[in-house]
Amino acid sequence: MTAIIEVEGLTKSYGSKRGITNVSFQVEEGEVFGFLGPNGAGKTTTIRLIMALLRADEGKARIAGLDSWERSVEIKRLVGYLPGEPALDPNLTGGQILEYFGHLRGGVDQTYLKQLIKRLDLDPSRKFRQYSSGNKRKVVLIQAFMHRPRVLILDEPTNGLDPLNQQEFNAMVKEVREEGHTVFLSSHILGEVEQTCTRVGIIRDGQLVRVGGVTELKDIKRYEITITFADAVPTEAFKTLDGVEQVETLPGGHALHLVMQGGADAVIKAAAHYPVVSLTSHEPSLEDIFLRYYEGDGLATKEESHAV
Amino acid sequence: MLFRNIYIKSLRDYRIAILGWGVGIGLLIYVVLSSFPSLVETPEARASLVSLGPSFAWIAEPIKIDTPGGYATFKYGFTVLVMALWPLLASSRMLRGEEERGSMDVLLSMPRGRGRVALEKLAAIWTALLGMGLLIGLLTSAGGMRANGDFSLGDALLSGLNLALICGVFGSLALLISQFTQERGTAAGVTGGLLLIFIVVDMVHRVIPNTDWISHFSPIYYYNLNKPLVPGYGINAGALLVLLALSIILSGLSIWLFVRRDIGGTVKLPAWLRLPERAARPEQALPANAWSLRSVYTRGLGMMVVPGIWWTLAIAGFAAWMVVIVKQTESQLATIAQSSPILKDILTKVGGGDITTNATILSALFTFLPLLLMAFAVTQVSRWAADEEDGRLEMVLSTPQPRLNVLLARFAALTTVIVIIGVLTLAATELAALAAGLKLDGGNVAVATLSMIPMGLLIAAIGFLFSGWLRTAIDTGLLSFLLVIWFSITFIGPELNWPEGVQKLSAFYYYGTPLLHGLSLSNMLLVLAVAIVALALASVRFMRKDIGR
Repeated sequence: MTAIIEVEGLTKSYGSKRGITNVSFQVEEGEVFGFLGPNGAGKTTTIRLIMALLRADEGKARIAGLDSWERSVEIKRLVGYLPGEPALDPNLTGGQILEYFGHLRGGVDQTYLKQLIKRLDLDPSRKFRQYSSGNKRKVVLIQAFMHRPRVLILDEPTNGLDPLNQQEFNAMVKEVREEGHTVFLSSHILGEVEQTCTRVGIIRDGQLVRVGGVTELKDIKRYEITITFADAVPTEAFKTLDGVEQVETLPGGHALHLVMQGGADAVIKAAAHYPVVSLTSHEPSLEDIFLRYYEGDGLATKEESHAV
Repeated sequence: MLFRNIYIKSLRDYRIAILGWGVGIGLLIYVVLSSFPSLVETPEARASLVSLGPSFAWIAEPIKIDTPGGYATFKYGFTVLVMALWPLLASSRMLRGEEERGSMDVLLSMPRGRGRVALEKLAAIWTALLGMGLLIGLLTSAGGMRANGDFSLGDALLSGLNLALICGVFGSLALLISQFTQERGTAAGVTGGLLLIFIVVDMVHRVIPNTDWISHFSPIYYYNLNKPLVPGYGINAGALLVLLALSIILSGLSIWLFVRRDIGGTVKLPAWLRLPERAARPEQALPANAWSLRSVYTRGLGMMVVPGIWWTLAIAGFAAWMVVIVKQTESQLATIAQSSPILKDILTKVGGGDITTNATILSALFTFLPLLLMAFAVTQVSRWAADEEDGRLEMVLSTPQPRLNVLLARFAALTTVIVIIGVLTLAATELAALAAGLKLDGGNVAVATLSMIPMGLLIAAIGFLFSGWLRTAIDTGLLSFLLVIWFSITFIGPELNWPEGVQKLSAFYYYGTPLLHGLSLSNMLLVLAVAIVALALASVRFMRKDIGR
């Protein structure tokens, strides 16, 4: 696979205010890449730099090998873009807006366009100002997909969409991926990323703290094991074992709750010395991983800012 | 503390405007008053100044203009045009702006009634206006003391109050109109148009004898009845009450409507006043096949159709009206001119020819045409700047449209409308001259009307350039200020014997007197060259800048 989006040392500040600092990553062609971060982390700044709406102080962004600033027009032929806070002429209808952007893109397949409208259940005869926020989002989503772009860059695409339309959106992303197209989407909804993305990048305070596959991120997870014994067991027997970060005795004294990091071999062997009634392991959600990176104490260390 | 309630919060938002407009306008008056003694150093100079007054009566009534207060009142007859811009913008934004942003929903989710919210916001605007009036009054008083003016601090404060009251009227009018429009910009635009119309309606009785009754319909007339800085003239309590009553009625009606209508909606007009709604069905919405959706250029044109029609009516109508007025009042004007050598001299300078000809008088009046067209261009520049500020350009620039093309397409659309207005103004003038039986040089009429096109392009290009750095409100304010300065230099400068170098700073200098002297090719080329340079710089800036909100 080849990288279709390449970001190298991208830096942007707004006067004295932080934007992003030295952000680098690559997105392979045909993958769905999730860009995660809390509000104000720098997701939109990164996306707007890639889209040549902002000019980088330092660093480069390339799409399909083309410099995003120098060759922005060629790049935009390849890209479908959905901004985080779309603003459109409130006096135009959804249909007129889609027709206008269709013309600006040199024409689009009307049959496909109508399919998208139908899939997302949009009434294109209403004026943009009359739409709910979810319907406004649908208009902008359709304009991003309607010319079958090679790369989709979507800034928090499902904001305001109801669960049914979110499902439809997920299906649309899956379809374009199967067609070999690339999707780069930002989000702070981790379930959405978990469902749709193959890899994720996590940005915090303007710096990329981690890039990796969704499954790879889970590999470095902190997870939990609950062991129920026939009798009470001493916690000291588990506290110092490899991989154990925390041990807690549950009410009744027969069960232990362990917070783990790494392999569970030592715990299993230690537990085997006592009569075990049950053992359950809890997979961390991406939410847990995400929260870990945003604990406000700087735990997301710099040494982790490489791809795993 | 400053976020304790809506009133205080709104007032906090206006703090810079209060200082900016209050101190700005106040300082202008202070400077005029301070420089007054040097204007009347000799009896001859004083006599010359007095005889100058009647020729500029269309600006303001010349009463005791050989006194500091009389001179300041006369000279700043147009102050209301500049000063009313702030309440006009602030009031159209007061409720409608919040609704457009969606913040009104949040505000009204607080345990406060709609009427209370609107009243607190209105009170903040009124407090801001009174604050501006106070600053203007204090600076006027300081200027009066420096010029040994014979008006008191109380008189100066009353002049500030008078200004605040007329501004309150236009603010209230904008607030009322915003109850009927979906966008704040439309309300501000309509109110701005009404402000110009009311200024002209007030002007009528000073230009055409026995037309006082017409001017009674303009609030500006009641504002001008108060001249507290003019010795012995004072304040007209009835006029002040009229202004106050107008403000209260218009504001009260606005709040009454606001309390009863949908948030985000407009007041429902009676069926006979509503435009017929096209019942669009979803399945028929695409393709829209609208000509205006084909490109950035046609979209730009489409956006200007409605305002373009109104401005064309105003500009072409004004030109035709002037032709008819000049023909109908030619005998009175000839008599006035014969009795006033100074007036003859002024009209000769401004009009550019022999006062006994209608063309000279018309030539003087025609210098308003480029001013109006430039004002239209400023409104469209404001729209361009707002498109970027509000994020609408972001979507356009995410399509494969080069930034340069986007800017030039919008400028080309504006150019097209400006040319159309110029051509239609030419047609209206010719038709009016034909109907009124006024003989004018056809070629010169063509030059006089079409020469305003480069003037419109000039201010548009400068506006596009400024918008590369400035936010919409500042860009629009700066351009408006530039127009007022240019206008003042050209119309007052010659009579105050300002150096040629100063007069050349005004774009109107280069417009000249084409109705009499035809085309000054070099001047027009110069205007066009400056416009092209400004547009080129605007393009360079736009291609390199961050597109942002």
